[in-house]
Amino acid sequence: MALTVGVLALQGGVIEHLSLLRKAADYLTSTGATQLKSNDFEFIEVRTKEQLSRCDALIIPGGESTTMGIVAARLGLLEPLRQFVKVENKPVWGTCAGLVMLAETASATKQGGQELVGGLDVRVLRNRFGTQIDSFVADLKLPFLGEEETPFRGVFIRAPVVEEIMASQEAAEGVKSKSEDPVEVLATVPAGKAEKAAASEDIVAVRQRNVFGTSFHPELTQDIRIHVWWLKQVLNAGRHQDLVSR
Amino acid sequence: MATNGTTTNGAVDGADAFTVKAGLAQMLKGGVIMDVTTAAEARIAEEAGACAVMALERVPADIRKEGGVARMSDPAMIKEIQEAVTIPVMAKARIGHIVECQILEALGVDYIDESEVLTPADDKYHVQKSDFKAPFVCGCRNLGEALRRIREGAAMIRTKGEAGTGDIVEAVKHIRTVNDEIAKAKAALEGPGGGELALAMMAREIGADFELLKKTAQLGRLPVVNFAAGGVATPADAALMMSLGCDGVFVGSGIFKDATPEHAARRARAIVKATANFTDHQALIEACIEHGSSMKGINNAELKPEEKMAGRGW
Repeated sequence: MALTVGVLALQGGVIEHLSLLRKAADYLTSTGATQLKSNDFEFIEVRTKEQLSRCDALIIPGGESTTMGIVAARLGLLEPLRQFVKVENKPVWGTCAGLVMLAETASATKQGGQELVGGLDVRVLRNRFGTQIDSFVADLKLPFLGEEETPFRGVFIRAPVVEEIMASQEAAEGVKSKSEDPVEVLATVPAGKAEKAAASEDIVAVRQRNVFGTSFHPELTQDIRIHVWWLKQVLNAGRHQDLVSR
Repeated sequence: MATNGTTTNGAVDGADAFTVKAGLAQMLKGGVIMDVTTAAEARIAEEAGACAVMALERVPADIRKEGGVARMSDPAMIKEIQEAVTIPVMAKARIGHIVECQILEALGVDYIDESEVLTPADDKYHVQKSDFKAPFVCGCRNLGEALRRIREGAAMIRTKGEAGTGDIVEAVKHIRTVNDEIAKAKAALEGPGGGELALAMMAREIGADFELLKKTAQLGRLPVVNFAAGGVATPADAALMMSLGCDGVFVGSGIFKDATPEHAARRARAIVKATANFTDHQALIEACIEHGSSMKGINNAELKPEEKMAGRGW
């Protein structure tokens, strides 16, 4: 039994995620949190449909979301990605540009809009905090890591935020099936100075079903906690449930 | 921004500030940054999948042809480009021109290129880049030059190549030189006594900071992202530089020189495709066909030493 986790490698911070995934897997196996052995975890770069189809879970990394959308479309990867996220319901995590890709809609996009994968019933606002000069590092309280945990150093680079949680397509159509899986807000930061701020807080981490998104870049730190937490979620999902030690 | 005392780059700015600066470059990896001179060109680049644009007054090929003093771009043009696209907008300042850099930072430019393509403003000093909140990219011909720029605060490095020629030979020479010197530093590190003496001697020889050289040797690569630049004119050139270990590609004159807007858009898409799929030969064939004719270019070997831009800076 093995677990294959892919990182979408069209552009952006790919090896940073691969490196932290490897460390997180080593941590999980060394602490006995899983029956899997270190070499049962396989982490791969994903550029093709074939590579994607091998994956049990996927990370869409930071990068430029417009570039990723255009390259994914030209490689014929958008539909397979949508299938992976929305039909097969496999665990997916998007960081920064990856969060944008996983949103159902996005604002402040390029003229004519941009291609998205979707999966999270949210609207993201790109470049929420301004240009690169407004990029920052902030301590985040992440209760999902455990209430006692020390703050996480959140690296925000030209970062998007979730500006609105929307009624899901199914809910809008009066179908009940998925409305039981609302979008959970997992972290916020005090609203930035931008005049677009509608609320006092900006949403920077969300989860809905198996789809997880963060505005910030855990892969630009040496802190493995979110990667460890997410790998546990992956192990808990679907067919790997039997591999998690209780 | 927070200053934590410890630094990751050996320069004086705080660790968090440098993480954010270098982090943007990490997010550009695997992408293509295109020189543009108008908002319309910037839109073509964005639609083709460029991960950023470099706003400048004239492409290097035209600077080369027309001569005169090449300076920072007109802020009005930079603003137009910033309004036209959502991807990062970079702009060039002259080597050592602190005030041009201050103006670009105040404009909210996402990255400043302290560039040898423009006419140098200072014949001795580069800009102390750690003093700025905006991140900087700088060119290099070898490891010593790269580490000197990083020591000054550069958060991203590129080869100098020979801009505006469409001849890849100098960019290849520069990335190979950097790679060879990193291999040498690595070998030194693995030598007797943890390589301290050998690394100290090498640091002196190449004019680099010892700690930065040691870090480079430990990492087996530059401590910041390293892009190709200077002479990339075709999808195959871009893929060549990626295969030599570059993290991404700048294309200067190669997109818009000797091309209609429609042809430039095809070239731009082709180079994006080749960069993202540089090991996939089928994708490279498709990219070459889509690219069509390339800029005519200038054979680097026919340039006189004083006509070369790569020699500017130290």
